[in-house]
Amino acid sequence: MTIKKNSVAAVNPESIISLHEVNKWYGEHHVLTDVSAQVKKGEVVVLCGPSGSGKSTLIRTMNRLEEIGSGTIHVNGQDVQGKQVDVNSMRSHIGFVFQQFNLFPHLSVLENVTCGPLWVNKAKQAETRQLAMALLEKVGLGHKAQAYPNQLSGGQQQRVAIARALAMNPPVMLFDEPTSALDPEMVGEVLSVMKALAAEGMTMVCVTHEMNFAREVSDVVWFMDQGSLLEVAAPDVFFTSPQHPRAQKFLSDIRRH
Amino acid sequence: MSFLTEYGIVLLQGLAITLALSISSWLLSFAVGLFLTLVRMTKIRAIEWAVLAFVEYQRNVPPLVHIFLWYFGVSSILPESLQELVNEYHGEFIFAVIAIGLYYGAYFAEDIRSGLRSIPKGQQEAARAIGLSYAGAMRRVILPQALRVSIPPLLSNTVMLVKTTSLAMVIGVMELTYATKDVASSTFRIFETYAISTALYVVVALTLLFIGGWLGQRVRIKGR
Amino acid sequence: MLDIIHQYWLLFLIGSYPNGPLGGIAATVLLSVIGIGLAFPLSVLLALAQLSPYKALRYPATAIRYLLRSIPLVMLIFGAYFIVPIILGRPVAGFTTMAVTLVIFQSVYLAEIVRAGIESLPKGQAEAAAALGMGYWTRTRKIILPQALTNMLPSMVGQFVTTIKDTSLGYVIGVNELTYAANQVNSAVITQPFTVFLVLSLAYFVICFALTQAARLLEAHLERRNSRTVTHVTLNAQNAPAAGHSS
Repeated sequence: MTIKKNSVAAVNPESIISLHEVNKWYGEHHVLTDVSAQVKKGEVVVLCGPSGSGKSTLIRTMNRLEEIGSGTIHVNGQDVQGKQVDVNSMRSHIGFVFQQFNLFPHLSVLENVTCGPLWVNKAKQAETRQLAMALLEKVGLGHKAQAYPNQLSGGQQQRVAIARALAMNPPVMLFDEPTSALDPEMVGEVLSVMKALAAEGMTMVCVTHEMNFAREVSDVVWFMDQGSLLEVAAPDVFFTSPQHPRAQKFLSDIRRH
Repeated sequence: MSFLTEYGIVLLQGLAITLALSISSWLLSFAVGLFLTLVRMTKIRAIEWAVLAFVEYQRNVPPLVHIFLWYFGVSSILPESLQELVNEYHGEFIFAVIAIGLYYGAYFAEDIRSGLRSIPKGQQEAARAIGLSYAGAMRRVILPQALRVSIPPLLSNTVMLVKTTSLAMVIGVMELTYATKDVASSTFRIFETYAISTALYVVVALTLLFIGGWLGQRVRIKGR
Repeated sequence: MLDIIHQYWLLFLIGSYPNGPLGGIAATVLLSVIGIGLAFPLSVLLALAQLSPYKALRYPATAIRYLLRSIPLVMLIFGAYFIVPIILGRPVAGFTTMAVTLVIFQSVYLAEIVRAGIESLPKGQAEAAAALGMGYWTRTRKIILPQALTNMLPSMVGQFVTTIKDTSLGYVIGVNELTYAANQVNSAVITQPFTVFLVLSLAYFVICFALTQAARLLEAHLERRNSRTVTHVTLNAQNAPAAGHSS
């Protein structure tokens, strides 16, 4: 059982994200077990594994939407789970895209994108509007700026959500199953945006089932099962000759369908 | 604490009347609620309208005004013989029960009805498919499930009913609030009196909540 | 019945004003508006306290909730009527006592509605706001409350109707509202109590029923607006609000 684990020290100055021996329990249930990994600047990481493997939980610990029991997580050089940290400030430097989009229905598309910079960074109205429009154009939705989330399709909403996260100009973007809640015909439009983002050099961690996306775009694949990080490999290696038996099973299960 | 023993009795007597009022009104309310719900099932337009009118009328007029209308209004238009009868048997208690009973009858009707509406149509269809009549299906399949769903709203309306009985004091029924006011103004021990009565009401309310919770647990459909 | 209305309509409407304090329907409406108006900000704070992760806030807020929901309003009114002048050391007008009691009482019930509204929002809304870096108050003020309160507007109108009905209790401490006015009319007419109190009932009915219907229209409008989505994905959680409930 060869497991590639990073044996680098807990906080690697080159890494944007450093996970060291992260553990989490829900009552008796050990949901994350000794997870250690690094994400370098500009890397695109795909986090995959069967249901219940803890991948969503893990990504949510990175911006502290979930707490951990032990271990450390450093993002942008900050200890995310520390007692003294200013959680809001820390989160404003991490972009997060949810599976259910979670756009604010009472705000227009444009307002959804501008609300972060305006209310958190206290940026100026005019500049923020310009920035937001540019981002909306970039994801292909400039013409929907005045529409409301209820009037958009799922794929469109998710693209707005990505623009909303980008508006904060974060050094790293986290994606929690961004296409899992979408009808198949809309998955492509969202993945295109993510591919373009990756091509621009954004550091990204994506929990996803989209294996083609993983093969094309990612630099590293993390495979998780039952709370443990079992394999870390380059995509071409992972998809052609996975080392860990459970990774092999996972891939063959996927391929069968 | 001689205050407690002397006047505690008065307060407890008030509580007894409160409970008597509550139980009587509750029985009337439940009967009315059930009746209205069943009668609506006939789907006759005129009846539907009548029930709606009754429910809306009851709910949009304050309970105190209902009490006044019955105690001062209806009693005055009753035939002489009935008036005397009513006066002999604590008319104020009777009219309070009628007024409160009808008022909450309207609310109970809505609670039971919403319970019924929450049962999927498939239940009725399945019941009929095995040969039960409409009435049989209602009695054995639909109503038992519906009443369980209705327990929480019925419970909270019951607590409100008990509190509403305090209005009967205005027409002279010597329930707990009447007794409280009486004792407080005659002894000038205002804080203590109100504290004790508040405690008594809280105990009644919490008891009802516990009973309701226990009832809800006991009749709980496993797995729902 | 029509003669009674014809003769006493002014008394029903505004009491013995200007020869006396403002009364009748005008006083009823005034009391209700003050009651709900002042109760509203209190209820938001109470609801937030009840939902707070800090026990120091949550326990007292929850205790207030159970306490005030267990005691009858009329007892609270009497209690306030006797106790408040003692505390303040000077006599207090019945109207003021009634208004203050209503504010306290209604804020507890409104807090239930506000709380239900907040809890009915999908968790993702607070999470998305937090993920952007918004602090608690920013999240609550800009994202959570606007949605929660809009959704609960029909229920809040229902609570306004309840407040109008509760003002009738002012009668027991001599507040010049509609029920008091009706009793004055009854004392003047003497021989037709049924008619007088029927008029009283109808007066309340017209006001409350109109408001209840408005609440229902509002609810239908909100339901239509919230379900008008293009997505196939269940955006879910803009739950249809509970029907306005008058007690």
